[in-house]
Order: sequence, then structure tokens, then C-alpha cells
Amino acid sequence: MTALEEISFNIHAGEIVGLVGPSGSGKSTALHVVGGLLEPIEGTVDVLGTDLTELSSSQRTRLRRDHIGFIFQQFHLLPALSARDNVALPLVERGVGRRERQQRATELLEQVGLGDRLSHRPGELSGGEQQRVAIARALVTDPELVLADEPTGELDTETGAQVLELLVDVAEDQTVLVATHDERAIDVTDRVLRLLDGEITTDE
Amino acid sequence: MGNLLTKGRAITRYAVAQVRHERGRTVLVVLAIALAVLSVTLLASLGLGVLQTGEERFDQAGQDVWVTSDSVELTATGSIENPIADSHQLAADLENRDDVKTASPLAFHAVYVGTELDDLELVTGVGVPGTRNTNTVDGDGFSEGDSHYANGTYDGPMSQEIVIDPQTAELFDVGVGDTIYVGTSRMNAAEREFEIVGISTQYSQFLGTSTVTMPISELQEIAGTTGTDRATYVTITAADGVDRDAVSEDIQQSYPEYDVRTSEEQLESMLSEYLLVLASGATLVVLALLAGIALTMNTLVLVAVQQREELAALRAIGLSRGLIAGVVGGQGFTLGMLGGVLGILATPVAVLALDHLAASLVGFENLLRTPPIIYATGLLIAVGIGTLGAVVAGWRAAQYAHVDKLHSRQ
Repeated sequence: MTALEEISFNIHAGEIVGLVGPSGSGKSTALHVVGGLLEPIEGTVDVLGTDLTELSSSQRTRLRRDHIGFIFQQFHLLPALSARDNVALPLVERGVGRRERQQRATELLEQVGLGDRLSHRPGELSGGEQQRVAIARALVTDPELVLADEPTGELDTETGAQVLELLVDVAEDQTVLVATHDERAIDVTDRVLRLLDGEITTDE
Repeated sequence: MGNLLTKGRAITRYAVAQVRHERGRTVLVVLAIALAVLSVTLLASLGLGVLQTGEERFDQAGQDVWVTSDSVELTATGSIENPIADSHQLAADLENRDDVKTASPLAFHAVYVGTELDDLELVTGVGVPGTRNTNTVDGDGFSEGDSHYANGTYDGPMSQEIVIDPQTAELFDVGVGDTIYVGTSRMNAAEREFEIVGISTQYSQFLGTSTVTMPISELQEIAGTTGTDRATYVTITAADGVDRDAVSEDIQQSYPEYDVRTSEEQLESMLSEYLLVLASGATLVVLALLAGIALTMNTLVLVAVQQREELAALRAIGLSRGLIAGVVGGQGFTLGMLGGVLGILATPVAVLALDHLAASLVGFENLLRTPPIIYATGLLIAVGIGTLGAVVAGWRAAQYAHVDKLHSRQ
């Protein structure tokens, strides 16, 4: 089965772009290709001036570690770690010392309004709060590109809207690509790419 | 290097956090590892204790060479086969050798003893020659010795003297100067009463069972073996300045029909008869180890399975497989160390309890020995189990840390 076909789009630095479409339209696949998690059979994927199809798996991992932040629908936080430790986790791979990791994670959690939830574990947080922790984790390495895969999928309408607003607010220096079937994404994004059956139907 | 150190410290912290988070699971695995460690330390302490206690007992017995025939074993009724015939003569012949200082027959036979004829107990009767020192803690010991032997005629006076161990004394509430019935059956015990002339632990500690000691000719008399003059051993002390191994070998050559052993060899021979017991012990330890390993690995792999999507997400955000494997696998080390420490802390307590049990059952005091090497081995086992768990779980975690495991519920 082909998830994406003849798909081509450019995103400019600093842009906030919504990749909107119904379930099965291929938006998550497109996001994973941009993030170097999936390789296209044909074509090129230029991200931050690098063709991902030319990179090895470990080189793509390094690129993600240094330049890309990920936000997932189901948050994917480690249940045993506190909010602060979850946020600080990507910094461990970079060899950042503990004191600096905690300081940076605290700053990010304060930015997403969770300054009073630093030591709470994911199980002690609401869905909206967990997704805010995930946003802080995605931004803690100060990436150029943030990829969000259905970030509001697990949240109620109001919380979803708040999380989207928060995302575009705190990621003001980043390029953000949000894959969603939530039409309200249009309200917060600079541009919307509509996807249907693996093809881009509208660029508005 | 500094980078690695930072990562190592972080992995340790996160591993400890995971272990603390799942308390019920942690308690279960730690207990399993502690049990495995404890089974190893206890069996090792017991093995070492049996060896050392055996050596000490043989040293205390003060005999260099043991002459016997076939294997010495307890019969179903608790008696020991007496395989040497004409034992007094054999002892006399051996004592005539230049390289031998003393040679004495030693016999064992199950006997009934008691103060009331309807309340007799079966104990091990030990027959000793002469007025051999029985290390009495109370009483003077035998006054006449082996007088009944009378150069093999067995018509000398019976001293009717007996030395009993403290357990028997306590059981019948008797002491030096009291009399006690002795016989090889409940029927013939009524015929003979012996006067208690001493309380001694010497043979009960050697055999690990309740014993009464009497002149060998008198034991042979009540056992009905005077015709063949049966004994279990002829024990020999080597002449001063003579190598006991050389004496043992020389006697063996002169008496090929007997088994001649030094004290060490005799101990080994006696222990080898308990091979099945030792093998059962070793099997239990192996089972405990396997259970510990299986439970640890199963639990850690389960952690990896339960968190496969989180692990895949960490991989997606750029964490290396090594770091992810470390965070999951690090729990193995933590659990192993906790289990090891608990097992080691429990060891002295369990040793104390087992020592108490051994003392009350078989009369050996401080049977289990726990030199530092025992504790070190226990810790090594725990770390080994933890490492194995860590490697397997880490490997599984690294397998799961793949984008295929990321599912979005669109």
C-alpha cells in the first residue's frame, strides 16, 4: 500500500504549518518522513539543508537529536520519571550535566505553565498537562524544527485548543509542522496543507 | 570521558527512579534475588562448615591413621557396621611397629539406654579400649578400662561403667553416679545396669548423634561380638617424627585387606557417602538461581514491553539505543544490588537459625562457617543475575526503540 505519492511541499524557516486531513490521509507518514523516521522509496527529503535520503540511520538519529523536536499524540512520557526528568531526557544524550539539565527543564516547564508540577510524575498529571510536558521535552534542545503528530488527539476540545495555542506560542523561534485532523489548527497556523489519500489537495 | 560519566550518572538515576516507581514489582524481584543469594551463601557456609568441623573433630580425636574395612555406614537402626574382626590382635600387631606409637580398636553399636525399662532410647554405643581419655566435662571417666577383655578370654570383670553425652544426660535427667540400663534390644537391656562415670561430648560431637561410651570389650559383650572381637576402626597415632602419610601407605601395603586412610582421607571417605545429600543441596541452589534469573529477566523484559511505545518515542527524539538500553537495563543492576545486599544481610540471621537447628538436631555447635569469601560470592551472584537481566532487558528495549512501535490512534 502506498501511503504518500507525488507529494511535494516547502516550508520556510519560522513558519507554522498545519498538515490537515482525515484519518488515513497520510499526514503522520509525511511527518515521519520529514523527521527521518521513515525513508521514501523515491524522491528526496531536504530538511535544514540536508537530504535525509543520503543519511544513514544513525546520522538521521543525530540530526533529530540536534535539530528536531517531536510531539506525539499519546505523549509518550516515561511513567517513572518526574515531569522535569522527562523534559531533561533528550539533554542526557548530548552529555549535558545534571544541574544544567534540570535548570533548562525547569525553564521550559515554567514556559508551558507547569512550574508547580516539576516533580509530578505523568500519572499525576492531566492529559493536557502531560502534553505540555511533551511540548517542553520537544523544545528543551532548542531545535530548529518541531514536528507534532496529532498533538490534540487525546485531549478534549478546550484543552486541545489551549495546547495548540501554547505550542505556537512557546515555539515562536521554531519552524513547526503539525499533523492533525483538528480543523481548529487553521486558527493558529500560518499555512495549511490539506492531505487526502496520500496527496496534497490544497495549500492555503 | 566526561560525557560518558554524565550519561552513566543519568542512566543510574533514571534506573533507580524506575525501580522506586514500581515498588511491588521491585520487592518481588529483590526477594527472588535475595533468596538465590541466600541459598548460595547458606549452602556454601554449610559445606565449608561440614569440612572444617570434620577436620576439627578428626584433629581433636588426635588419631593420624584410620584402619577399617569397606565403607563405614550407619544401618537403618542407627548402628554402624563393625567390619574388623580380631580387632584387639590387629591393634596389638600394629602397635608393635616402629612407626606406630599407639593403636586402639574402636567399635560402634546401636544400643538402647534408659532409666526405666519401658522408656528406652536408641543411641550409638561407642566402645573404647583402656582408660582412654574421654574428655569428660563431669566425672572422672573409666577406672578399670578394658579389663573384661582379659587377653581375649572375655572373662575379666565387667566394670559396668559408662560415659554419656550431655543430651542423653538431659533426656533421662541423670548425672555422674546414677545408673542406666544398656542393651542391644529392649529385652536384654534389663540384664545390665551401667554406672555413669562421666559426661562427655567427645563422641557425640564426632558422630553428630547421641552417644554413650563404654569399654570396648563390654560393648562387644552386650552386642554378642566377643567371639569375633569386632571393631569399626583401629585408630593409630604415628610415632614421633614419622610422616603420617608414609605410615598410612606402609600399613596399607602390609594389610591390603583393610582400607588404611589418614585423617583427611577418612573424612573425605565419610563425606563422599553423603554425595546424594550434597547433590540435592546443589540442585536446590541451582533451582533458586534459575528462579532468580528467570524472575528478574521476565520482569525487566516486561518493563521493556510495557514501555515499548515510550522507548520508540525516545528513539524518535534522538536518544541512542545504548542510552535507552541503559535506562531499562540499569534497573537490572539496581535490582541485583538490592537483592544481593538483602541476601547478604539475611545470611548471618539464617546462619544463626540453622546453627541452632543443627546444634539441637545433630549436636554440632557453630556448624556453618561464613568467612568473607562467602559474602563476596553472594554479592557476585546477585550482580551476575542483575547483569544478565540488564543485558537481556536492555537488548529487548533497544529492539523496541524503533519507529515501527510508534502508533498514533488516528
